[in-house]
Amino acid sequence: MKVLTARRAAGVLALLALAVAGSVIVGLAAGPSSLSPREVVSALLAPETPGAAADIVLRVRLPRVLLSLLVGASLAVSGVLFQALLRNPLADPFVLGVSGGAALGGIAVLSLGSAVGLSHAAVAPAAFAGALATTLLLGLVSGSRASPTSLLLTGVVFNAFASAGIVFLASLAGLSEGAGVFLWLIGSLSNVRADVTGWVALFLFAGLACALPLARSLNLMTLGEEPAQQLGVDVLRVQRVLLVAASLMVGAAVSVAGLVGFVGLIIPHLLRLLIGPDHRLLVPSAALAGGAFLLLCDTAARSLLGGRELPVGALTSLAGGPVFLWLLRRHQQRIFAP
Amino acid sequence: MLLRSLAASLFFALAALPAASELPARRVVSLNPSLTATLVALGASAQLVGVDDYSARQQSAVRELPAVGGLFNPSLEAILGLAPDLVVLVPSAQQRDLRARLEALGVEVLELPNITLAELLASIEALGSRVGREAAARARVREIESAWRAVAAASAARPRVRTVLVLQRDPLYVVGRGSFIDSMLITAGAENPANVFAEPYPRTSLEWLIAAAPELILDASEDSEEPRDYWARWPSLPAVVKGQVHRIAASEVTLPGPFPERALALLAEAIHPAPGRSDP
Repeated sequence: MKVLTARRAAGVLALLALAVAGSVIVGLAAGPSSLSPREVVSALLAPETPGAAADIVLRVRLPRVLLSLLVGASLAVSGVLFQALLRNPLADPFVLGVSGGAALGGIAVLSLGSAVGLSHAAVAPAAFAGALATTLLLGLVSGSRASPTSLLLTGVVFNAFASAGIVFLASLAGLSEGAGVFLWLIGSLSNVRADVTGWVALFLFAGLACALPLARSLNLMTLGEEPAQQLGVDVLRVQRVLLVAASLMVGAAVSVAGLVGFVGLIIPHLLRLLIGPDHRLLVPSAALAGGAFLLLCDTAARSLLGGRELPVGALTSLAGGPVFLWLLRRHQQRIFAP
Repeated sequence: MLLRSLAASLFFALAALPAASELPARRVVSLNPSLTATLVALGASAQLVGVDDYSARQQSAVRELPAVGGLFNPSLEAILGLAPDLVVLVPSAQQRDLRARLEALGVEVLELPNITLAELLASIEALGSRVGREAAARARVREIESAWRAVAAASAARPRVRTVLVLQRDPLYVVGRGSFIDSMLITAGAENPANVFAEPYPRTSLEWLIAAAPELILDASEDSEEPRDYWARWPSLPAVVKGQVHRIAASEVTLPGPFPERALALLAEAIHPAPGRSDP
């Protein structure tokens, strides 16, 4: 295990920040319409100038760039946290069923909302309400002291319950709502609204603010609960705080983007392979790398097929899967040491 | 030119249909609201013995009939329970198995596509001949064709209006190339920039729509937010600048039915409003 020095941490974070900056430039420059780099730059520098370029750069691409950074970061950070807290390499942001609750809430509005006069803008708040309700429910069911296994089992059962509810709702929905439900389940940033960016950012930064000071405790907790307790970690408190923080991050991200898969599973593992398992570096790195990865995937999703859109959730898995397997083969022995 | 190619495709569409049975069907189950509406319009309501859930909701004439399920999940048992001698449906992946099973059980199935205008007209004629209403069907098709000629003639001299017809906002679906709605837009004097997509109803992106710079946006989505407010988020859209963003009722324009000339008239009015009428 590499020793974490301030110098190495700064180097890694600077490199990742550069990657984020690079992908922001690509995200703003690329798209189905053929805007020249000059038009993009002048739209950014003079936002008041009316014209299609300003609309495309500032009101279509920019909100998507920001939101994909935030959603990708939230998913990757919560993936790191869930894998550490549950001490399970297969854990991902969706494992506890929070995403299932969000999906149930969002899809209820998607499929039945138009019948009761709810606008599409109500989908994200409903999804977030679903995520909150699930988090509360998890807290109630698991009681004061839950083992990782019982938390995982609760999540599995709740996800199964939620998917049954989703199938039920989708079969009541009409043809056009059906397409919306399908896209939501894969994950898509195709028509995000700028006004949701704020609350995804809020939960991401609140989550980071909880996770960063507890990163040392997380490192100790990967040894097991008892050794960590003996080393002075208040295991129960760390678990509670981080489970709630991670659940809220996932809830906010999923409620605006749907179930974008894989980012929260592979980015944490990828980073563990590349920079080691120290959570003091892993957590902020996951935020940067997850954001950059989702941003690049989303840029590809909206640029590859001309005026057509691909759901970004399909691309994250298509692009991430093979890369991950290749890395796994190269570092076979290290992946299962959390 | 348009009408001639229309007539030609109509001829081929009809020639491709299976030879109709000798006797008019007496117990018909319709599994599609458009086909139900056509049967009702042709005066064949009495021969209908069952419909799908959507038809039952949309057509007051068939509200009392037994409903046999939705477009995706019709009940084979409910259909067979009505002892039909003909089941009519629109081809779809979901109903392919249903057709095979019905035919295996000896029930005649008539599959009538209705994406293009030619298919729509052919489906009216085919239904008419199968339920013994040939004359009514032919008259209906002639009326549609003459309405088409009249609207095409009226719009021919006027400038084309770059129009995007939005079917759904999120995910964004628009009317692309080849559907009967596309035919209506073109006939009514529009230029449809979504013609670049080969599919009849492509899913596209906001960025494409903004770059396409439509002068008129016809919004047939069912979202409760006013189209004017929604599309004003992208103020460079020429349609927004000119105040040419209008809601149109999906049920009146986007469902293929026996009276496409009504939808055509609505679209023509939206594209080139009659003089003297104030802008809504």
